[in-house]
Amino acid sequence: MSHGTIDRLVYMANQISKAFAHDPEAKAVAEISDHLKKFWEKRMLAQIFHHLDEGGEGLDPLAKQAVAALQRKAQPA
Amino acid sequence: MGLIQETDYGTKPRQATALVTLTIDGESITVPEGTSVMRAAAEMGTQIPKLCATDTLDSFGSCRLCLVQIEGRPGTPASCTTPVAPGMVVHTQNSKLAKLRKGVMELYISDHPLDCLTCSANGNCELQDAAGEVGLREVRYGYEGKNHLDAEKDVSNPYFQFDPSKCIVCSRCVRACEEIQGTFALTIGGSGFNSKVSPGISEDFFDSECVSCGACVQACPTATLMEKTVIEIGQPEHSAVTTCAYCGVGCTFKAEMRGEEVVRLVPYKDGKANHGHSCVKGRFAWGYATHKDRITKPMIREKITDPWKEVTYEEAISYAADKFKQIQAEHGKDSIGGITSSRCTNEETFLVQKLIRAGFGNNNVDTCARVCHSPTGYGLVNTYGTSAGTQDFDSVDEADVILVIGANPTDGHPVFASRMKKRLREGAKLIVADPRRIDLVRTPHVEAEHHLALRPGTNVALVNALAHTVIEEGLADENFIRERCDWEEFAEWAAFIMRPENSPEATEVHTGVPAAELRAAARLYAKARNGAIYYGLGVTEHSQGTSTVIAIANLAMATGNVGRPGVGVNPLRGQNNVQGSCDMGSFPHEFPGYRHVSDDTARHILEIDWGVSLSNEPGLRIPNMIDAATDGTFLGLYIQGEDIVQSDPDTKHMISGLSAMKCVVVQDLFLNETADYAHVFLPGCSFLEKDGTFTNAERRIQRIRKVMKPKNGYADWEVTLMLAKAMGMTMEYSHPSEIMDEVARTTPSFAGVSYKALDDLGSIQWPCNEKAPTGTPVMHIDGFVRGRGKFIISDYVPTDEKTGPRFPLLLTTGRILSQYNVGAQTRRTENSIWHAEDVLEIHPFDAETRGVKDGSWVKLASRAGETSLRAKITDRVAPGVVYTTFHHPLTQANVITTDYSDWATNCPEYKVTAVQISLSNGPTEWQNEYNAHSAQARRIVPPVAAE
Amino acid sequence: MRIFVPRDSVSVALGADKLAAAIASQAAERGVEVSIVRNGSRGLFWLEPLVEVETAQGRAGFGPMTQADVPALFGDLAAHPKAVGLVEEIPFLAKQQRLTFSRCGITDPLSLADYQAHDGFKGLENARGMEPAAICAAVKDSGLRGRGGAGFPTGIKWETVRNAKAEQKYIVCNADEGDSGTFADRLIIEADPFCLIEGMAIAGLAVGATRGYVYLRSEYPLAIQILREAIVIATQAGLLPNFAMEVREGAGAYVCGEETALLDSLEGKRGMVRAKPPIPALQGLFGQPTVINNVLSLAAVPYILAEGAAAYAACGMGRSRGTMPVQIAGNVKHGGLFEIAFGITLGELINDIGGGTASGRPVKAVQAGGPLGAYFAPSQFDTPYDYEAFAARDGLIGHGGLVVFDDTMDMAHMARFAMEFCAHESCGKCTPCRIGSTRGMETLDKIMAGEKVAQNTEILRDLCETMKFGSLCALGGFTPYPVVSALNLFPEDFGATPLPAAAE
Repeated sequence: MSHGTIDRLVYMANQISKAFAHDPEAKAVAEISDHLKKFWEKRMLAQIFHHLDEGGEGLDPLAKQAVAALQRKAQPA
Repeated sequence: MGLIQETDYGTKPRQATALVTLTIDGESITVPEGTSVMRAAAEMGTQIPKLCATDTLDSFGSCRLCLVQIEGRPGTPASCTTPVAPGMVVHTQNSKLAKLRKGVMELYISDHPLDCLTCSANGNCELQDAAGEVGLREVRYGYEGKNHLDAEKDVSNPYFQFDPSKCIVCSRCVRACEEIQGTFALTIGGSGFNSKVSPGISEDFFDSECVSCGACVQACPTATLMEKTVIEIGQPEHSAVTTCAYCGVGCTFKAEMRGEEVVRLVPYKDGKANHGHSCVKGRFAWGYATHKDRITKPMIREKITDPWKEVTYEEAISYAADKFKQIQAEHGKDSIGGITSSRCTNEETFLVQKLIRAGFGNNNVDTCARVCHSPTGYGLVNTYGTSAGTQDFDSVDEADVILVIGANPTDGHPVFASRMKKRLREGAKLIVADPRRIDLVRTPHVEAEHHLALRPGTNVALVNALAHTVIEEGLADENFIRERCDWEEFAEWAAFIMRPENSPEATEVHTGVPAAELRAAARLYAKARNGAIYYGLGVTEHSQGTSTVIAIANLAMATGNVGRPGVGVNPLRGQNNVQGSCDMGSFPHEFPGYRHVSDDTARHILEIDWGVSLSNEPGLRIPNMIDAATDGTFLGLYIQGEDIVQSDPDTKHMISGLSAMKCVVVQDLFLNETADYAHVFLPGCSFLEKDGTFTNAERRIQRIRKVMKPKNGYADWEVTLMLAKAMGMTMEYSHPSEIMDEVARTTPSFAGVSYKALDDLGSIQWPCNEKAPTGTPVMHIDGFVRGRGKFIISDYVPTDEKTGPRFPLLLTTGRILSQYNVGAQTRRTENSIWHAEDVLEIHPFDAETRGVKDGSWVKLASRAGETSLRAKITDRVAPGVVYTTFHHPLTQANVITTDYSDWATNCPEYKVTAVQISLSNGPTEWQNEYNAHSAQARRIVPPVAAE
Repeated sequence: MRIFVPRDSVSVALGADKLAAAIASQAAERGVEVSIVRNGSRGLFWLEPLVEVETAQGRAGFGPMTQADVPALFGDLAAHPKAVGLVEEIPFLAKQQRLTFSRCGITDPLSLADYQAHDGFKGLENARGMEPAAICAAVKDSGLRGRGGAGFPTGIKWETVRNAKAEQKYIVCNADEGDSGTFADRLIIEADPFCLIEGMAIAGLAVGATRGYVYLRSEYPLAIQILREAIVIATQAGLLPNFAMEVREGAGAYVCGEETALLDSLEGKRGMVRAKPPIPALQGLFGQPTVINNVLSLAAVPYILAEGAAAYAACGMGRSRGTMPVQIAGNVKHGGLFEIAFGITLGELINDIGGGTASGRPVKAVQAGGPLGAYFAPSQFDTPYDYEAFAARDGLIGHGGLVVFDDTMDMAHMARFAMEFCAHESCGKCTPCRIGSTRGMETLDKIMAGEKVAQNTEILRDLCETMKFGSLCALGGFTPYPVVSALNLFPEDFGATPLPAAAE
């Protein structure tokens, strides 16, 4: 995984988050994770999950929450 | 197959519901009120001789051949300008009329060359026909009188010539230019006997304001304005009705042929999108189909540094299939994918996505709509429920206020622009929101009430401010909202939109649009009986493209401007089949008909029909494919009819991704920029050589018909089929109609579509099913497709692409009338005469401070890269904004554009790039290297003679 | 001492301005107090510049005046070499029935007080107290027919515009007086501009129009100036509430006198004849309902509204009611404007009023109704001046012009001139006019050169049929009238033997 790819994914996730930032937090997190689920290919999801596991550097708080929520759903404990 | 002859009824049809019965030559006929006597006669089969009348133009009454006698009325009125009246008794032929017509014709012929046998219109000349009809046998005036026989020809236009010696001064060309095209380039110079058709003020056609739409040529009843191809080849002998392969307007043409040679393309009067009009591209720029650059043999190579080797289809296909299979074996089934083309047919697109979903076993399919209208899909699906424009083109005839945002119709969608201009000349008001002073802002007899010259990248702020004004000033349509939308969602949205930061006064800081002007525009739109919004890539190609589409949808709902003719939200589609390629399931997250891959019902329908199981997870988008390629997880790509190297942003990144792949298969007419990085080249086939359908911007599915054998041997769908079979799929189609049948049986919104239905109806606007068996011209009439219209909050988030000391100017991009997209087609026609290179438009102020003169070579640099091109100084652009087109590979405008893209769809932010301009000596080093590489990459080794 | 020196184009061209200056300086020299009134012309052109001096008996006339005649004005007026007696008693004027031109030459054209003192604005005042329908009815009842040439009943035209539904309607005055030998429009605009303004304002009330345009030919700079000043004066005096008037200059094309071409020109387009329908009353200027009337029609209206429809209709004969300002010109002894009730014979107009030719030679022909009107020979001088009677002889009242020719005139040459005029003025829209007029000239050239005369005459007659019935507007449609009438009345001028031509 190149540095460029994860940078782009983080950027994308943050951009999506900003589009929902006006919503109440819980709704925003749900919308963002739904968007990711609908449009992100599994490689992209795996990469962002991995990135989150590593600390999620660069991810906005909302994006972080949304990625985490999606990760929980995708990989039920 | 003969030549299609369209009846000319002489004058336009009337829509009146009141009917009038009259008697013509003893026969009774009933026609709508307002119909001319000429048309009434024609409808009962009586052709009254005529020359200046034609049913695409308003009646004019100048030729005086169509005179008739009406009982109880004095004189001999012209039948073209006389409307029918109840009980009217008309005589179209008697000795007095015969003598009169002969007298008029004698005058015509007294000033006309007698060279019928060698005339290019011989056999298809209305003057010749009329002379026969009236029985003219001699010209008693002789031929030594004053005449125009020595008038000089004007051959300046590359596609047609003007021979005034044959002109009968019927003004049909002048009227066509005014009424149909709306350019007003032609006039009659001089008066009386010296009257002469004149482009501009005694200019030649090329130097005049003529836009070469061809309307004048089509209107000309003689050989005065004639296509050069007809002069060269002769009159056509057979024809077929087909659809233009250029922009999303989808004009219907008759391809007129001699044998397998195209003589000309003539717009078809019954074409529902164009009603007999055309532009310079569709009408004339079809020569690329037989251009010498065309590659007609399959080619392969091991490495992209090798020269190409011509091989058989079998060899090329099995080479590609083997490589794909090998990559999948080594890297997993998700390691390959494909890209469909908005220039190919619905059937071909459907087949490519089927190959990928069912054959490759993944959803890694994307399309060029990614870079143009993907935000339209997302935005309109979520607000209204359908990924398409709400109206048909005819709807514009009923619009009272037209808001054009980020679209340049006179260049990008010229035939629709002419319709729009006609409506504007009738009195509709225009608002243009565009950073650039596009032609529509002020063009003959049309002037925008408001030009909102916003700073690139501030669309959402602008549209929100329009909505703010609507709500604040009590201009919202409460009844509509209560009836059609969710009131609570509206209230929530209205509360958001009423925030002070969305007021025109606050957004002025971002947009640069004076608040008073914006408020006036908002009032104009909101108070209109019918307010219609048309938008283009200036809306979608932004980091907030989707948000702008949503904001527009909100604005239209808030003002009640959805769900009837004359209103709506109308994306102007760039390519001929953008709508269709999206409809056919070209996006990685959607099956045909915009059904998400996770939709079990949809997936099961397809799985049963295709006999395979399908992935329920979205695939990769183009930019993510390229990222994955550089990461080493995506290594094979099948690209049909798409030049991602030239058309997609951030060229350098694109090239490095493609170079990292193991097998790139390009199917195209030409060795395009992307093919430089391909391992297999499959020759493509033009729209003239295959059957299929295109779907235009108004959701209209139209046939294209094969008029010549594929130069490369196979239609594109046949080649895809070969590849699919080689990949181990079992598919069998003998004709594209069978593919459409499959689309219909698996896609609810296409259920009623078939080639038979298309032949019967001419065209069909989807949805077409039991509920709408003949299609749906205007959507959301009885409520929104999704149920209740959804107001979605669209917050303005400034783009991260910002100007600064290094890159102080904003670059925005667009297209020009004569060229199309990456120019693959138009650059290979005479159209290049008008636009031989891309130029950079720059405001005099910005030019002055940089020492740039008109025509100077300048270096255009962004953080992504740099290129050189020539500057054009103009105040069309505001200070601080520069503009260029992306038609020429030499310019490589996309070397400059960045990787920023729309938050929801990754549609690239082509319309905003921070740049700097400096003087340069010519092409940059990178451009030179690129050209050298291209030459190297396009070497072809001739095949070794068979043993 | 009040002295009247006309300020109209004719008098000015003949030195009226210098004359006025000379009178003023002569008076100053002599210490005589004079007030010089620059009135309009009375229309007695052979006497212009006609200077009038107010006397106890009335206004005494002197003309044609030169500067040399000025000092004598300060002596015994009766002995003045140019004395013509009391102006009102000059037979040419005394015989007239001036309803429309009643103030012309009497008043100062730009004096509102003068205008009002002579019954001005009485009609408009009456109209203000009437329903629009009643105004239209009055005009209809007066029998007034379009004085521009077509003779269409004015009241019916107004009624059509009144009944049309539109937000904006217009009154357009056709002052593009292009017929050779006509000058009535110019004369009244220069002599009594308020009369036209009043007529247009009444039309505006009648049909609900709030804007009026006067399309005035650029060849009349003085008329343009006077009318513009008069509009300002009337507007500033508050006499035109809700009615905005504007003068637009024509650019010299004869065809722009045709109403639809005029509208095109007013709209800023090239003046081209429009096919009718739609008629201008429903879709005229800028596509809106429009009254388009000639100056003389509109100027007749104030009288009708002031004195009543019956008073106007009492004059005239048959369906030609009221008076016509006949303009007598050409080779004639007493040329000028003669307003008279319809019914007078052509012979009376030419011989009794006009006094025969100026050259003293016998009259050969009279062209009535402008350059496209038919010629009349003295044998037809019993024709009463009446739309129907003229039409019965293929003639035309038109705009009221009469041009007299003596026996030296070659009528083939005049026929050719008609074709030449048509060729010169043709807008080029319709084929019979555009090509036909040129072929007509060429064919007449052949006839005059004696080339296959019988054959070419037949071609010419056929061409005239084609133009007459085939042309889009009256320009091409009426060009055959002078040609065919000349051909019929004076075959000898066309190389034909007086005997019937033998078949070849």
